[in-house]
Amino acid sequence: MAGQQPPSNVGDDLGLGFALPGGVPTDAQGRRKVHPISPVVHAVTAIPIGIIIVIAFGSGGLFAGDARVLAMAAVALVLVPFVVGAAAYLSWRKLSYWFDADGDFRVDSGVITRKERRLQLSRLQSVDVAQPLFARLFSLAEVSVEVAGQQGSKVSLRFLTLDEARSLRNEILARSAGLRHDTAEAPETPIATVAPRDLAVSLLMRSVTFFLLLVTVVILVVTVMASGWGGLGLALVTGGVPILIVVTEFITFFNFTVSQSPDGLRLRFGLAKTQSRTVPPGRVQAIEFVEPLLWRKRGWMRVRVNIAGMGAADSSGNREETLLIPVATREVAHGIVERVLPGLDLAGMEWHPAPDRARRRSVIQWQRLAYAWDDSVFVARRGRVTRHVMVIPHARAQSVRFTQGPWERPLGLGSVHVDTTPGPVKVSALHLDAGVAQELVRAESDRAERARAQDRSIRWAAPDTTNEA
Amino acid sequence: MSDRTRAAFTTTDAWTLVSPRLIVARRITLSLAYVLVAAGVVALFLIPAVPRWVAIGAAVVAVVVFGWLWWLIGRRVRSFGYCERGDDLLVTSGIMFRRMVIVPYGRMQLVDVKAGPIDRWLGVTTVQLHTAAATTDAKIPGLVPADAADLRDRLAQRGEQRTAGL
Repeated sequence: MAGQQPPSNVGDDLGLGFALPGGVPTDAQGRRKVHPISPVVHAVTAIPIGIIIVIAFGSGGLFAGDARVLAMAAVALVLVPFVVGAAAYLSWRKLSYWFDADGDFRVDSGVITRKERRLQLSRLQSVDVAQPLFARLFSLAEVSVEVAGQQGSKVSLRFLTLDEARSLRNEILARSAGLRHDTAEAPETPIATVAPRDLAVSLLMRSVTFFLLLVTVVILVVTVMASGWGGLGLALVTGGVPILIVVTEFITFFNFTVSQSPDGLRLRFGLAKTQSRTVPPGRVQAIEFVEPLLWRKRGWMRVRVNIAGMGAADSSGNREETLLIPVATREVAHGIVERVLPGLDLAGMEWHPAPDRARRRSVIQWQRLAYAWDDSVFVARRGRVTRHVMVIPHARAQSVRFTQGPWERPLGLGSVHVDTTPGPVKVSALHLDAGVAQELVRAESDRAERARAQDRSIRWAAPDTTNEA
Repeated sequence: MSDRTRAAFTTTDAWTLVSPRLIVARRITLSLAYVLVAAGVVALFLIPAVPRWVAIGAAVVAVVVFGWLWWLIGRRVRSFGYCERGDDLLVTSGIMFRRMVIVPYGRMQLVDVKAGPIDRWLGVTTVQLHTAAATTDAKIPGLVPADAADLRDRLAQRGEQRTAGL
């Protein structure tokens, strides 16, 4: 199915032939509402939960054909979706969203506790359109809006028809960029796609995964040669965990597509749940290039990114790894980064390595430890087996930190960290000469101060400001 | 510590140290926690099944660790310091793990002032700065409440003047 999608379609609908009526439903005050069929979708989503409950509590009696258990199972299968659907209906009635006179995005919700949220679109971080599996059955989509600097500011509207979801996203993006809200949908040009085969191969060749799979093979061989079964349990762990991770990431990042639109980079990915995510330029907080040992022969790298409010821990504590691309050749990766951090020139920078005595603190990676900077960014690198290069624009630094651990102190070493918003990227120049590190902290803080004073990228598309790049 | 360590951070800045009353507050907290440890050691002496030498060993270890923590608290408290500069605030701390963080006023999203019951009784307060980065962790314990309130107000005011977008 790679490359077959029309460019403006989020995912491919599983298409059960439902043609839901379009149009935006509104309430008495003219505020918009999510699609009335949404409670049904929530109810359908709950069916697997009902099945799990039945299997967990009644599997014994179920297979034995116990009539009472069967009856209870049937009740659970009906009851769980019904209760979920009824609750979803009540919250559907209370949920409305609109743009207020100040141009803020407002969402009122809550059956028992009323919640009135006001999202300041000038601080917009991202608008995502996602199609969870069950919503895809109905050709519906979910829109998530996040703004910076507010805990729990993420608002998810479940569910809108795909067309409405896309037009709402465009409206929010246009308003946040300081354009008129009726600006037409931004056209987009594809930049890069990750072929499923490349994704699978790359996931298997990541350093830790590959090492664990190798260990598993060794354990299996030894177990078979010793003709015992003792190693199987261990092999299940060392082999099972990485395979689970590979499969999860494969499903999450399947068919990863990057395209350029005037709103920013648009990322699309996912097998079961398809997601579409827009990364506005100027909202990228930090970037990291990751090159595992076995990827280097093919010239592959992964690009991680910190975007404030995005990829933060969700309610269940899972932290998503926010990526610009899961795997790409060096040229493609740098081409993508060029669009969010124009003018980045890693090769032309003057690298300042950690002193030789850093080998007594970090035996393996000490030779790779170094930092560099130019007029707009600070860069640090680390890692010998898996290479990491971390980039942060001076203007995005939150604070600058010097640290010295008990191992570093006797060696006269110290580390410098440029703090950024929560995300997968941590920018640290490790194990430098302590004196150099102390000067670097102050120098970097000054550079950040100057860069902040010149930064114009908050309302990057508004006509009266110019992006400094 | 502190002269030797502090010298590394001092250069040109005028550092403000925190109140020595924080040492008292922390030592009281330590002693309260040690009531539990002492109870455990006494129990070892009373339980007949435990050999006498195990109980004595535990008591010695408990006393040594107590003395070490007692001493460490003094050093740790003296290691805290902050310095208000024109555009940013410097906060330093730590003996084993030393740190110095520079927080621009424009990046501060929130300034917390808090004090536990023992802290309140002794008149010490903690001021904590938050930026959009979770790793910033700029905490100044052991301020006199009036100073803490003043510092918070100054920081909030400067933060407002210099607020930067993300």
